[in-house]
Amino acid sequence: MIEVSGLTKQYGERTVVADVSFTLEPGTVTGFLGPNGAGKTTTMRMMTGLVPATSGTALVDGRPYPELPNPGAVVGTLLDASAVHPGRTGRTHLRLLAAAIGVPADRVDEVLDLVGLADAGRRRVGGYSLGMRQRLGIAGALLADPPVLVFDEPANGLDPEGIRWMRDLLREHAARGGTVLLSSHLLGEVEHTVDRLLVIGGGRVVADGSVTELLGADGTVVRAERPADLRSLLEARGHAVTAEPDGRLTVAGATPAQVGAVAASAGLALVDLRPAQHGLEDLFLQLTAAA
Amino acid sequence: MTAVLTPPSTAHRPAVRAGAAGPATLVGLEVRKSLSTRSGRSLAVAAALLPPAGAALASAVSEDPLLAVASPLAMMGMLTALVLLALGVLSTAGEWTHRTVQTTFLLTPQRGRVLAAKAASVALLGAGLAAVSAATSAAVLAVFEPTAAWDGVGRVLAVAVVSGAAFAVTGAGIGAAVANAPAALTGTYLVVLGVLPVVQAFRPEITERLDPTAAVLRLAETGSGATPALVLTGWVVVATVAGAVVTRRRAVA
Repeated sequence: MIEVSGLTKQYGERTVVADVSFTLEPGTVTGFLGPNGAGKTTTMRMMTGLVPATSGTALVDGRPYPELPNPGAVVGTLLDASAVHPGRTGRTHLRLLAAAIGVPADRVDEVLDLVGLADAGRRRVGGYSLGMRQRLGIAGALLADPPVLVFDEPANGLDPEGIRWMRDLLREHAARGGTVLLSSHLLGEVEHTVDRLLVIGGGRVVADGSVTELLGADGTVVRAERPADLRSLLEARGHAVTAEPDGRLTVAGATPAQVGAVAASAGLALVDLRPAQHGLEDLFLQLTAAA
Repeated sequence: MTAVLTPPSTAHRPAVRAGAAGPATLVGLEVRKSLSTRSGRSLAVAAALLPPAGAALASAVSEDPLLAVASPLAMMGMLTALVLLALGVLSTAGEWTHRTVQTTFLLTPQRGRVLAAKAASVALLGAGLAAVSAATSAAVLAVFEPTAAWDGVGRVLAVAVVSGAAFAVTGAGIGAAVANAPAALTGTYLVVLGVLPVVQAFRPEITERLDPTAAVLRLAETGSGATPALVLTGWVVVATVAGAVVTRRRAVA
C-alpha cells in the first residue's frame, strides 16, 4: 500500500505541488491525470525520494521509499524512458539493474522477451525508438516483479499493439494483488485501464474517485423516430428534456428504464436508449481548468 | 520495428535479494558501469597504453640514450593520472548528464553509499590501470634503454599507482559536484593544465601548494615531502566532500 499525505513542493515562492494526499490500495490501477505542469511527475519523484518534499510524507508499506531495504524489489518505476546511457546495450542496461536489485542475470532475458525486445537487446540504446525505450523501461521495472508499479506516461511512443499489451500487463498485475499508479495524457487509454482516477491540476488533487463515480450517469440519452412527440410526452410526465440538433434527447435525472416505459406507453419507437455519461475528456478539462 | 509482445504472464516471481546491496556489490556494479560504455573503455585503454606508447615513441626517436628511467617513468605516471581524472569525472558526472542517476538513486536511495562505492570503484580502477601503465612503461624503457639507470624506480611505480587512484577519486568528486560531464572535464583540465601553469610562471610558491601534477612529480622524484602528499590529499578530500554535499542535496528532476 502507498500512503501519500500532505505532500507539498515549493521552489522559492512557487508551489508546484500543494497538499496532495491519496492512498493506493493493492489490487487497483490508479490513473494519475493532469495537464502538463500540473505536478504529476514532481509528486511521483517525491514519492520515490528523487525530489525532496517541502512537507508531507509518502510511505510505501509503511516506510519512506529511501528506507526500503531493497526498493527495486518493492516498487517498479518508470519515470523517464530516456534515462538510459545511449552507449550501453539494452541487455547490459538491464543486467546492471538486475545486479543492483539482486535478481539472477537470466531474468534479463525473460523481461526482454516479455516486452518484445529480445532481438534488440544487444543493440545500443542510442539506436532505440521512443517506444523501444519505453519498453526497456518497463522491462527494468518488472525485473523483480515488484508488488507496486509507478509508471509516468508509459504509453508515450508505444504503438496501438504496445498500448494494449501494457494495458493487459497492468490489469493483470492488479488482478494478482499488485498496486499500480499510472500517469498519462492519453485519456482514452487511462479510461480503459484504471479502476480509479486521481486528477491533479495546479498542483492540487481536484478529483479522486472511481471511474464509475466520476464518469457516472446523470440522465438518459434517447433517440426516437418521432423525437418531438417523445419530448412532449416526457415533459408532460415532468422530465426535463434537452434536445440536441442531431435529434438526440437528453433526459436529466431519468433512468433508461423510465424513459423506455414512457415511450412504450405511447407506442413510440426508439432507435437509441442509453445512460448519459460525462466524457472523460470533458471531465478532465472541466476539473483541471477550475484548478 | 516489429516486436512480438509476450502476453503478460507472471507464473513465477524471480528470486530477489532480501536486503540492500552490500558494499562489495555496489563497488563491483560501479566498476561494471564505468567499463560498460565506449567512453569508459576508451579511457581505461588510454590510461593503460598511452604512456607506454609514448615512452616507446620517445625512445625510438631520441638520439641520445636515456641516463635514468625514474624521471620519464614519473612523467608517464602523471600522464596516466590525468587520463584517470577523466574516468573519475565520467563515473559521476556522466550519470547526471545521461540522467541514469535517476535509476541509480531509485535502486540505491542512500546517495552517500552510492558515492562511496563510486569513489572506491574508480580508486580500484585507477590504481589497477596505473599499475599496468607503469609496469608496461617500465618494460618498454627496459627494452629501448638498456643502459639507463634504474635507481628509484620502485618508488616511482608506487607513486604512479597511488596518484592514479587519487586522481580518479578526485575526478569522481569533481564530477559529483558539477554534475555535468562536459563542464566538469573542461573546467578541471582548464585549471590543472591552464590556470596552474600560468600561476606557476608568476607565483611558483602558490602552485607548489596547489598543483596536483607537480605534486606527483615531486613525490616520484624525491619520495619525500609533506607538501606534495598534502596537495594530493587536499584535492581528494575537497573534491569528495564537495561531491558528497552537492549529491546529497540535489533533486533528480
